[in-house]
Amino acid sequence: MTSLWMWWQGYVTVRLRGPGLERLLNKMAELDIVLQRVRRLTGDVVIIRLKVKDFRLLRPLLWGTQINVSILDKHGAPFLLGRFRLRAFLAIGLMLSLLFVMYLSNFIWFIEVGGSQTLPMEALKGAVWDLGLRAGVVRSTIEPRAIEAELLKRFPVLAWAQIRVKGVKVDILLTERDGLESGDTGPGHLYAASDGVVTEILVLRGTAHVRDGSTVRKGDMLISGEYYDAWGQKQFGAAQGVVKARVWYEGIGEGALAKWEPVPTGRNHRQYAFTIGSITIPIGKSYPRNTHLRSDQEWHLSLGRALVPLRLAKIDYQEVEYIKVLVPREEAEKTAYVHAWESLLQQGVREEQVLKERQTVDFMADGNGIRVTVQVEVLDDIGLFFTH
Amino acid sequence: MRPAVNQTLKRKLAHTLDLPSAILLDQATIHLLGDSEAKIVNHQGLVQYTSACINAQSAQGMIEVVGSAMEIVSFSSSEIRIVGKIRQVMLK
Repeated sequence: MTSLWMWWQGYVTVRLRGPGLERLLNKMAELDIVLQRVRRLTGDVVIIRLKVKDFRLLRPLLWGTQINVSILDKHGAPFLLGRFRLRAFLAIGLMLSLLFVMYLSNFIWFIEVGGSQTLPMEALKGAVWDLGLRAGVVRSTIEPRAIEAELLKRFPVLAWAQIRVKGVKVDILLTERDGLESGDTGPGHLYAASDGVVTEILVLRGTAHVRDGSTVRKGDMLISGEYYDAWGQKQFGAAQGVVKARVWYEGIGEGALAKWEPVPTGRNHRQYAFTIGSITIPIGKSYPRNTHLRSDQEWHLSLGRALVPLRLAKIDYQEVEYIKVLVPREEAEKTAYVHAWESLLQQGVREEQVLKERQTVDFMADGNGIRVTVQVEVLDDIGLFFTH
Repeated sequence: MRPAVNQTLKRKLAHTLDLPSAILLDQATIHLLGDSEAKIVNHQGLVQYTSACINAQSAQGMIEVVGSAMEIVSFSSSEIRIVGKIRQVMLK
């Protein structure tokens, strides 16, 4: 505390050289001058530290002595302020920097996620982005409680979510459930999840409403939760069982018989883009995508797992001309077939489940492409439990 | 009143009133913190200062602090604070 007070008042490091230095130190003490760090270097040299105001009292004491005094260093706030007075622009710059830092501290710059193990990071990032939580937003616009509630609603796998705003950083703390809790403990029935023909039914609890060979539509009741127990009492519980059925799925894919291929003209351009939060500053001209191919290279600033909103991108534009190239029918058909299967996979069909597969090939009405329809028959457990 | 009588009276007064004699009798006080720091309060001036020996005058005589690498970290009319390796403190 004493040193801080001394720094605030300003102090000097002084070298005293000459005979009878102890006498001089005593005289200074008599004037209530407090000396700090009194160091004896040699027999006739002493280094001392004293306050600036006390240094002015030192001069009269030296009259008539053979002691020389020289200032070795100056410390403290008065000297620092004096230096700034000479460098007004430096002081203004520092002040502006301080104000700028204070302004920037109103924004969120870092978002860190903790506790998530199975939840896909991209999905989580997309969700918090939708909810207005992203690097570069004003801190006061964030509503942690609302975001927490929405996250729990969107991701059933989450058991708990907490948003903690700490200065310019937001911590998203998540806890996932050990396993998805099924709600099949209450009374309810088993319904058909899709259309199909029942091939096998095993009732563990309840009463079967269909039999082998029955044709069912999506939503039909398969096993009722009502049954009679061993004493003939009617009971209503959770229907349990396995209902396997042949189910048909259909996927459609298209393949073009002609495609436009880019041919480089040899003219290339480069652009840089610097992004801070949601603001992007392009350096150089942009070119339209219909005449140029674009390749981006990005550098993100990252601190550990934190998402830092600073990004530098190098964008290369390659000027091209598009020429029409005919595609062989086999290749177009193959492409259409692959797309049809992609559609089936999106519907939940797994290749190993397929019992039968049928495909039809048609030319599209405009004659520019081929459409392939793939129909598959799979054996699937179609039972879906709903509480009553 | 002679100085010796004066001192005797002050000592008796301090004893009777149960006052700290260091204040009443103008006595020097020496504080030692292990062998690394010493503080001389109520001294009457620095007589000699080297890194091996520091002599200070007091009402009771010369106080001599002997050691090595000694340095005065604070010096005022009432107090001398010394740091370093202190080996001996003597009253002469």
